[in-house]
Amino acid sequence: MIAVLGLLLGVGLGLVLKPDVPIGFEPYLPIAVVAALDAVFGAARAYLDGIFDDKVFVVSFISNVFIAALIVFLGDKLGVGAQLSTGVIVVLGIRIFANVAAIRRHLFHA
Amino acid sequence: MGLLPYLTSHALDEDYAVVAERRATEPEARSRRPIGAAGAVALAVFAVFTVTAAAQTSQNSSSEEHERQALIGQVKARKAALESDRRTVARLQAETDRLESGLLHNTASSGGVLAELNLLALRSGTSPVHGPGVEIVVDDAPDAQSDRNKVLDRDLQALVNGLWRAGAEAVSINGERLTNLSAIRHAGSAITVNYTSLSRPYRILAIGNRDTLPAQFADTTGGQTWLDLQRQVGLRFRMSTQRSLRLPAADVPDLRFAKTVTSEGKKPS
Repeated sequence: MIAVLGLLLGVGLGLVLKPDVPIGFEPYLPIAVVAALDAVFGAARAYLDGIFDDKVFVVSFISNVFIAALIVFLGDKLGVGAQLSTGVIVVLGIRIFANVAAIRRHLFHA
Repeated sequence: MGLLPYLTSHALDEDYAVVAERRATEPEARSRRPIGAAGAVALAVFAVFTVTAAAQTSQNSSSEEHERQALIGQVKARKAALESDRRTVARLQAETDRLESGLLHNTASSGGVLAELNLLALRSGTSPVHGPGVEIVVDDAPDAQSDRNKVLDRDLQALVNGLWRAGAEAVSINGERLTNLSAIRHAGSAITVNYTSLSRPYRILAIGNRDTLPAQFADTTGGQTWLDLQRQVGLRFRMSTQRSLRLPAADVPDLRFAKTVTSEGKKPS
């Protein structure tokens, strides 16, 4: 319940405040969102597995976002930002698909 | 293990399993923890991220759309300008063609005007001429005492009139070309032509058909007059045909009062 409340609160805050992303951080926001999505799906799967832990979720969330942004930042500095972004998206995407598949198995027993 | 199978098998963070194992061995651990405040905050942050990214992307795309529309507008404006420039070019080209043809026309007609001018100068005596003709030398009687046996202005007038009548096309007396403004008259004791005094003998050159000019001159009243003058008062008259004569141009004064009647027939008041 509190999770849904937090989600709604975040959506409301984002819509109302419309925070302006600094121009320097603009390239990292989409990749951070994908990393956060991976952490959220991982948490959902852990919850359904019965091994969810608050601390692990927060730590994995922060570290996912931070590392994704760092990789893209480094890639930008090295001149391979676009390629590294693609790699990160592919890896995170595969993880998301795998987690969603596990969640589906839990929910539908299929 | 390949990368892709590894990714699929380790999709879930291993921390969850580690923590769960530790919790199972440790006695104070709770069986199943609900999502706490920290998790809710993380989810809220995730939601803010997502919404912001989406808003940013849509904003960017809308501003890109705006730019695209602006560029399309510019392209259209430039195209219109180009089109109007092309029309201007076509119009100017047409005008150039028109002017060129007009120029050609003018050149052709100016050639005609020039030819006409030359002809008129020839006829009016303002340009030198050459051609075949007759040379007539007249003089007073050998022992002239009075005006009766001297050449008078009216004798020369009769002679010149006869020559004109006989078909002369250009006449000069002692190098004075006769024009439409020339007068032959007495001034004092001398005969003047074109306001220039002449001295005897008088040498008259006439350009014309040298085969018919002498005979036709003899038939005119001027010719008859001179025949009489020769016989009765002894004036000297000698005519010879010439293959080529050269007559100078007359020095014609400018016309100050005579004006051309315009083609509409209006007379300047």
